[in-house]
Amino acid sequence: MNSIIIVQMAVSGALMGLVYALIAYGFQLTYATSKSINFGQGELVMLSAFFSLTLLDAGLPYWLMVPGGLLFGAMMGLVVERACVRLSLEQKSEGWILLTIIFGLLSFSAAENIWGRDDRPFPSPISADAFNVFGISITPLELSVAIGVFAVMGLIELFKHKTLLGKAFEAVSADRDAAELMGISATRTIMLSFGLSGMVAAMAGILISPITTVGPTMASALILKAFSVAVVAGLDSGFGVVLIGIALGALESLTSFYLGSGWREAPGLILLIMALALRPNGVFGKANIRKV
Amino acid sequence: MKKTLIASLLLGMFAVPAMAADAIKIAITGPFSGGSAPMGTSMRDGAKLAVAEINAAGGINVAGKKKMIEIIERDDEGKNERGALIGQELASMSDLSGVIGSVNTGVVVAGDKHLQEKGITKIITPAAGSASMNQWSKAGVKDLSIFRFAADDAIQSAMVVEDAISHKFTKAAILYDSTNYGVSGHDDLVDQIKKQGNKLAVVASEKFNIGDKDMTAQLLSAKAGGAQVILIWGIGPEMAAVSNGMAKLGMKMPLIGGWTLSMSNYIDNAGKNGNGTLMPQTFIEEATTPHVKSFIEGYHKAYNVTRIPSPVSAAQGYDAIYIFAAAVKQAGSDDTHKIKLALEDLREPVKGVISTWKHPFSKWDPANELTHEAFRRADVVMGKIQDGHVVFAEQADRQRLIKSDSK
Repeated sequence: MNSIIIVQMAVSGALMGLVYALIAYGFQLTYATSKSINFGQGELVMLSAFFSLTLLDAGLPYWLMVPGGLLFGAMMGLVVERACVRLSLEQKSEGWILLTIIFGLLSFSAAENIWGRDDRPFPSPISADAFNVFGISITPLELSVAIGVFAVMGLIELFKHKTLLGKAFEAVSADRDAAELMGISATRTIMLSFGLSGMVAAMAGILISPITTVGPTMASALILKAFSVAVVAGLDSGFGVVLIGIALGALESLTSFYLGSGWREAPGLILLIMALALRPNGVFGKANIRKV
Repeated sequence: MKKTLIASLLLGMFAVPAMAADAIKIAITGPFSGGSAPMGTSMRDGAKLAVAEINAAGGINVAGKKKMIEIIERDDEGKNERGALIGQELASMSDLSGVIGSVNTGVVVAGDKHLQEKGITKIITPAAGSASMNQWSKAGVKDLSIFRFAADDAIQSAMVVEDAISHKFTKAAILYDSTNYGVSGHDDLVDQIKKQGNKLAVVASEKFNIGDKDMTAQLLSAKAGGAQVILIWGIGPEMAAVSNGMAKLGMKMPLIGGWTLSMSNYIDNAGKNGNGTLMPQTFIEEATTPHVKSFIEGYHKAYNVTRIPSPVSAAQGYDAIYIFAAAVKQAGSDDTHKIKLALEDLREPVKGVISTWKHPFSKWDPANELTHEAFRRADVVMGKIQDGHVVFAEQADRQRLIKSDSK
């Protein structure tokens, strides 16, 4: 009985952790190319979820809604890049920090005014009825989150390694100046990274909405955890976020069970502090050495 | 066409101040957005329905002069700090006759002290947390202008524990949210279990936060403890997450909790997993009597819905306005202090949709909170969720209400 409970808890927590990982991956994509982070990433998740819900309400079938939602996310990512990031980067300023936060606040207010402040259920054709694997309950919905997370991250990593555009992406990530000298447009690559990051946010929104419901505050708790995951794993760690995400999710569940539900948020913060103290570049991060 | 439009606009401009001077100003406050919004908006809309009826009938007869009711709305968003601001704002209005509303116990605690300071009469509805009234009895306040029109948590927790014991359960888990409402609800439940002879053992006491969606850990600790029933105190979205989590983990024990389990955002988000959930209710959306029928139909028509988001809140808002209006009439004044005195000694029964209220309040006695509480155990029934609606859990209650109305 007891060991089943522990495994159940770890599995449920880990599935939640995969969502943190996916959002954290969105942070990574933009950081890789532009060394900037979209602090409004959580609002992108929320906006895309609302937009997808609107598509569903308009009568679009689920499988057509998904590309629609992703496209919307990618476009929003491009908007963030153009409005908040590009000018600051050109002037070598850190203005993007404030600008992306402002973008998040604006999106939040806009969502409240357009869609209202209530949490709404998000219909999904995937069943929420649990099935049992060795005494552990899992719902197909949770499984779909896991599959979705790996699919998106896998596809993007494949794109980065196998296509010419992807290689340009990697080149700009490795060394922006050198890449520009090779004739790669850094601006375009950064645009691409923001588009991809927006798409990842939209995917996260579509995947988790049936579980969390859709509301303006749906991502505010998630985003902090995702940020911890991104920093602990390292902002250039690739699949490292998956491991850290799963670990954090499972740890949260177990802490909440053994120490009491009031302690749920503690492991994330302790992990963050430890990571910053011991490995400032992240557990899977590369040391920041730059030859001059 | 254009001329009449301008004329009516001009007329409107002159008519409004003329009316305002002669109107009885009542503020309605509550969360009209956020997780508690179904309760706030239903309360507001139920109250406005009553106001519209009273105004359509010519207003309230105040010392021989007919006066209309004018409503001031304030959205506290269910946030304590907004509640405090709104309390201050209302307390500074010199011509306010009274305040009706508040859903969240924390908001009541933060805001009502400003009203009490200025002696502004307030009827709290539908906030049920014990802290809303016992903050005054604990402080030993001699003269209180705050009344409550809701089945307080003491009554509700007593019913919840009663129900669990009557099903012969011996092991219970208590789940509650970390707000003032949840924590005081947890204390009330523990209190009641003791009062009713310790027949229930609490095998797990688990907290969750507003916005939590994954309740696996809390539920598994209930399961590990061998709980036969889960008692819950929280609001709609999180309680729906609990129900969905129970379904996922194959936990088939009943869920019994505070009246908030009848909120539409619980019923909608829990879907079929909500079936069979039990909670105390002061009003069930079922046309048991002609008066109730006309209220339900009136609400559906006025707000273009087929189901009231929170029927309890709507009915309480509606009845609260009628009780307040009766007090204004008896006081023969729109002065908030005189209305308070009239409320403490209402001579004529007020026919509402929940009950016919005979002398609902009496002079405040800090040793006995019931003096400013309108609801007693007999005014509350057990409700059950069935396919997206709240129905009577016990047919006996239904028959009793129909009978008492025909008397």
